[in-house]
Amino acid sequence: MSKVYTWDQLFSRRQFIKGTVATAALGVGATAGIGLLAPEASLGTDNPAQTATKGTKFVTTICEQCVWRCGVIAKVENGVVKMLEGNPNHPNNLGKLCPRGNAAIETMYSPDRIKFPLIRAGARGSGLWRRASWDEALSYTAEQMKKIKDKYGAKAMMFNSTDNLSQPFFEILLKAFGTPNYGTQRSLCFNSMTTAFLYTYGTPQPGTDYSQCKYMIFTGRNLAEGISNNETQEMIEMVAKGVKVVVLDPRFSKTAAKATEWLPVRPGTDSAFFLAMIHVIVAEKLYDEVFVNKYTQGFEDLVTEVKEYTPEWAEKKCEIAATTIQRIAREFAAAAPAAIAHPNWRTSNFVNSFQTERAIAVLNALMGNWAQPGGLIPDQEMSTAKLGVLSHPPFPQAQGIRLDGVPWQYPLVPLAYGVIQTMRDNILSGKPYEAKGWLISRQNPVLSVPERQKTINALMKLDFVAVIDIQASDTAYYADVILPESYYLERYDGLIPIKNKIFIRQPVIEPLYDTKSSLMIYKELADKLGLGEFLPYKDEMDLLSQQLKPFPVSLEDLKRAGYYEVENLKEDHSKDFEFQTSSGKIEISSSIMAQMGKKAVPTWNEPPRPKEDQYYLLTGKTAQHTQMFTQNNRWLLEVFPVNRAWLHTSVAKKIGVKTDDDVVLESEVGKVTIKAYVTEGIRPDCIFMVGGFGHVSKGLKSSYGLGASDSALHKTVTDPISGGSALSETFVKVSKA
Amino acid sequence: MELTWALMIVIYLFTAGLSAGSMITSNLAFLYGGKDFERVGRWGAYISPFPISLGLGVLLLDLGSPLNFYRLFLTLEVHSPMSYGSWAILLFTVLSVIYLYLWLPEKYQILGHFKSSEKWKRWLAKFMPFLSVGVASYTGLLLNAAVRPLWNAPLLPVLFLVSALSTGVASVILVSSLSPWQRARHKELHALTKADAGLIILECLIIIIMIVMARLSSVSVSMAFGSLLYGQYAWIFWFLIVGLGLIVPFSLELMELKDKIPVKWALTVTISSSFLVLFGGFFVRYIITYAGQTNGWF
Amino acid sequence: MAVRMGFVIITSRCIDCDACMVACRAENNVPLRSTRNWVKSSGVLGQFPKVRELFQPGNCMHCDNPPCVSVCPTGASQKRSDGIVIIENSKCIGCKYCIVACPYDARFANPETGKADKCTLCLHRLEQGLEPACVQTCLGKARQAGDLNDPNSIVSKLIAKYPTRGLLIHVGTGPNIYYIDEAVPEIPEGK
Ligand SMILES: Nc1nc2c(c(=O)[nH]1)N[C@H]1C(S)=C(S)[C@@H](COP(=O)(O)OP(=O)(O)OC[C@H]3O[C@@H](n4cnc5c(=O)[nH]c(N)nc54)[C@H](O)[C@@H]3O)O[C@H]1N2
Ligand SMILES: Nc1nc2c(c(=O)[nH]1)N[C@H]1C(S)=C(S)[C@@H](COP(=O)(O)OP(=O)(O)OC[C@H]3O[C@@H](n4cnc5c(=O)[nH]c(N)nc54)[C@H](O)[C@@H]3O)O[C@H]1N2
Ligand code: SF4
Ligand code: SF4
Ligand code: SF4
Ligand code: SF4
Ligand code: SF4
Ligand SMILES: [Mo]
Repeated sequence: MSKVYTWDQLFSRRQFIKGTVATAALGVGATAGIGLLAPEASLGTDNPAQTATKGTKFVTTICEQCVWRCGVIAKVENGVVKMLEGNPNHPNNLGKLCPRGNAAIETMYSPDRIKFPLIRAGARGSGLWRRASWDEALSYTAEQMKKIKDKYGAKAMMFNSTDNLSQPFFEILLKAFGTPNYGTQRSLCFNSMTTAFLYTYGTPQPGTDYSQCKYMIFTGRNLAEGISNNETQEMIEMVAKGVKVVVLDPRFSKTAAKATEWLPVRPGTDSAFFLAMIHVIVAEKLYDEVFVNKYTQGFEDLVTEVKEYTPEWAEKKCEIAATTIQRIAREFAAAAPAAIAHPNWRTSNFVNSFQTERAIAVLNALMGNWAQPGGLIPDQEMSTAKLGVLSHPPFPQAQGIRLDGVPWQYPLVPLAYGVIQTMRDNILSGKPYEAKGWLISRQNPVLSVPERQKTINALMKLDFVAVIDIQASDTAYYADVILPESYYLERYDGLIPIKNKIFIRQPVIEPLYDTKSSLMIYKELADKLGLGEFLPYKDEMDLLSQQLKPFPVSLEDLKRAGYYEVENLKEDHSKDFEFQTSSGKIEISSSIMAQMGKKAVPTWNEPPRPKEDQYYLLTGKTAQHTQMFTQNNRWLLEVFPVNRAWLHTSVAKKIGVKTDDDVVLESEVGKVTIKAYVTEGIRPDCIFMVGGFGHVSKGLKSSYGLGASDSALHKTVTDPISGGSALSETFVKVSKA
Repeated sequence: MELTWALMIVIYLFTAGLSAGSMITSNLAFLYGGKDFERVGRWGAYISPFPISLGLGVLLLDLGSPLNFYRLFLTLEVHSPMSYGSWAILLFTVLSVIYLYLWLPEKYQILGHFKSSEKWKRWLAKFMPFLSVGVASYTGLLLNAAVRPLWNAPLLPVLFLVSALSTGVASVILVSSLSPWQRARHKELHALTKADAGLIILECLIIIIMIVMARLSSVSVSMAFGSLLYGQYAWIFWFLIVGLGLIVPFSLELMELKDKIPVKWALTVTISSSFLVLFGGFFVRYIITYAGQTNGWF
Repeated sequence: MAVRMGFVIITSRCIDCDACMVACRAENNVPLRSTRNWVKSSGVLGQFPKVRELFQPGNCMHCDNPPCVSVCPTGASQKRSDGIVIIENSKCIGCKYCIVACPYDARFANPETGKADKCTLCLHRLEQGLEPACVQTCLGKARQAGDLNDPNSIVSKLIAKYPTRGLLIHVGTGPNIYYIDEAVPEIPEGK
């Protein structure tokens, strides 16, 4: 029996790695050095491949500090990553890295990395662990999964993973295992946008032509802080060129600070604004009649529906002046088709957000901006290179219905999206059946799903939890097994085609510790489960070579160049106007909604409002952190040390607090203490918090207990149509601490 | 708040002034006081090398690269007060040690007693006041050169000089009245007290002129002085400096000079007033050093 | 004409993302709790809903009359002939005089080296023909660096075309960061 360690011992900062790599690594700026498990000095450094290579080299790879996948060129000196720079040849970032991308070195050399597989050695959540070999950890995981499958069926095992390059292989694993239960982050993120656009245009995420756009309306989309690297850059160029940029957001975001016009909309009432815009555009015949006649269906129903949605009516709902709505509608139409009401992203703020997104989708259609310069860009799957696929036996039929209610409770939510918060709820309710095991890869539901306590309770209830992560995330803290993945700078992932280019993520150094890529973790786990034939590759190189098979390029060449440009893959616009909807047209009136017996055109649904002494609780991103992930990065803590609760000056005065005083926020489901940030830049009826702080894992030394988590306050509210988690429907009371 | 130049520098500025002040006190007593003022001359000489050596030690500790200290003396940077100041202080410290030696009773002059000693002493007594004025005002020039709204006040070197003299005199009063032997006589104390009272008046005048000039100057400078008058440093300024450091000792000295102090209290009052002058002098350096850094330009 | 290196910073293009600060830390091994560059915010100005917020990035101004250089007692702080103000580490005694003397608070005491530290204009990168790290990564192209004396440089072209302002001009330091607040639709070609 090996020794039992607490997090403190596991992540002691007093221990330093020996050897060239480590000593040099200290120079990277990690003043505290790299902590390592104490007793056996060789632990984590026993990798023979880790001998430092002399000299400086530059390696091209793909960033993984968020989901955007920017091109990176890493400067490696004597086996130590010294500097990361944007790859100018990569369309996602045009040569630049955002703060989080720049800080990746610190994530990798962090003393809080998990350095070898861990098996729980005390009660769940006690923070007691023992070191395990990969063989033991994977065998144990497979054993537990098989036990659950044998006793309760494959469906009792849930598989969760947030968007990443190796996700397709995770999906193969779960399908091979035979479970229907797959949890992605999507319902926490953009379900309302993607379903709304899917049911309008037949495509979930059309692009936007920023470069030629003359009028842009963002609805909560906050590109200056919710960074999508190249789009953020394009937004800045747009502003610099003097393009009209209108931002609807109850708080004064940094995007609002750059915009031409900030409209502090009442939360949840954005659809009133857009319905009234449509009203004006229809009434004044400002739409593109030819386009509407040719490519859309249901315009007449829309005309009837929006009749009553006058700007005056909308003003009462959304608190934006009727004259402003009218003016913007006219300006917007005048700029068409180079005018875009942005599809947005994490827009699931309210149950009615699906209607908001539908109204936005339809407004764009009325402008005829589809596939026009400065308008919406159709999905270009046709023009994207197709990777080679691995053949595997047919998947077994998944037994049973899904725990997350798709489609039996949420008939309109695509299977691939799911409704993760309902899955969590049904673990607790035990309905429609009891879940027993959870394999979570690259996801941190403890902080990302509303009602943190419930998620922890769900984890505590299960027979078995395994987590694949690079650090001791809050979710990993409650696991039975932690399978440490190599950091992105140390590993391969599946190839990524963007239009006519194929990009590669490749290790720029050998793994610092005893970690593996998820490609290999999935593969080896599949082997132990007897499912090896579903992931038919020897190692990463073998897999990538198979993916690269259709192209006349060797893996070596791809590795050297960082990307491969597929010849003769011209942009194909022949299918731009073939809409993948049931009618084959842009559905202003959705046939699916009609089939379901719902109102088929965008409509107004009254959102709930806070009571007298309550406030809307708003959440969102900051440019300096990613989700529930980077708060432990000390370089990023330098530029964003802690989240604070934004209070309007009048509210702060009422409760008698100043900036940096502690306040208590209390919702129906939780209570947190957090520092106040007093500002004129927020509606007096709202309080805003950046998400991702308030970590509960003691393995995250620099961020444990720092700030507060809004997930501890969020109620679980789900839009029955899109499955989106309506985060802004949580109302809080605020008082001086 | 963490400041770049903190207590160590305050001590350095204070001790340099103190040494310079006591040196001048000694020199003048020797040159113009003759036998009557021998004790003053002696105590001034005995005091002066020590504070500045302490200051130098503390400064060394404050250096980020103390082992590189010698670099100061490989060059003379004419624009840098710290450079010429260091040379001046080096010279001052060496000479003040020699000066002290020359003041030692003959039996202690173990390195030998020369006929010419008295000549040397006189020569030094004539030369040292210039060097001392240099050292004392250098501490002001040091801050002057760092372009900051409080520090660039043109009268700062003068203020530091007067304050240095005042603390120098006070230190001689303090030590010579505390000492069991070679205790200063009443006449000597009287003269010193008179001098000190005069210096306090001068110091007050300079402070007032500085404030008036500052308030008439740019917003940044005005705001910087504002932080002394009514801002974050007001209590130090009014209570510790103006109150305890200037008004109280001045009043006590005035009473001493008018012989209003009962004899049994005389010693206590003398000691208290001179101590308070030192105390005030320290906080003058403190407040200027600190407030100078917390105030920036607009 | 002699080379005179300096910066142009276009505040209207800055989104306060701090990528420049993280990039500088990585490139120059800047220890935690210190920084060579910054982005200052005006805070939210005005009253709801009529508010605005301005961002002003900065770093060492590589002044024409740098007080940090004139006060340095050892000659460690120097202004090079190309205008770049540097610290020669071997000469620095860590007296911190230059740090207090800089009116822009652009310097700090590096606890790891014991020396004064500050922006070097990424001299080591310039020597390799690269842009400074902060300029290279800036998402808004708000930070630009180059030869102010070369009419074909990006910085000169910008200065020629737009009104600029400097910080604390009245202090007499002659700062070489030229701030442009106006919208700059296009960054000119140049080096
Ligand atoms: N730096 C950084 N960049 C990121 C991420 C990150 O974590 N960090 N995450 C990435 C991911 S996964 C996503 S999904 C995107 C998200 O990108 P965005 O969707 O652009 O960003 P969020 O900050 O989530 O957006 C929330 C905004 O909506 C506002 N809001 C809240 N309620 C309402 C409402 O009822 N109406 C309106 N109009 N506005 C409302 C909030 O005040 C906030 O400003 O960012 C991506 N980029
Ligand atoms: N309160 C609140 N809640 C929200 C949001 C919000 O704005 N506020 N935003 C929502 C949105 S838009 C989204 S997309 C979701 C995201 O929700 P999640 O996907 O659950 O959150 P992330 O923080 O992205 O989780 C990333 C996890 O992956 C780990 N990780 C990072 N890199 C690697 C790697 O290379 N390999 C492996 N194996 N693991 C890695 C991190 O340590 C972290 O534990 O959150 C949603 N929830
Ligand atoms: S947006 Fe930033 S964190 Fe995300 S992939 Fe790009 S550089 Fe990395
Ligand atoms: S900004 Fe400060 S550090 Fe830089 S040259 Fe000017 S005075 Fe010196
Ligand atoms: S800290 Fe170094 S560079 Fe600065 S003034 Fe002192 S010696 Fe010169
Ligand atoms: S030029 Fe280099 S050293 Fe100076 S602020 Fe930019 S990145 Fe830092
Ligand atoms: S990187 Fe550019 S846009 Fe971002 S904060 Fe720095 S100067 Fe501003
Ligand atoms: Mo997201």
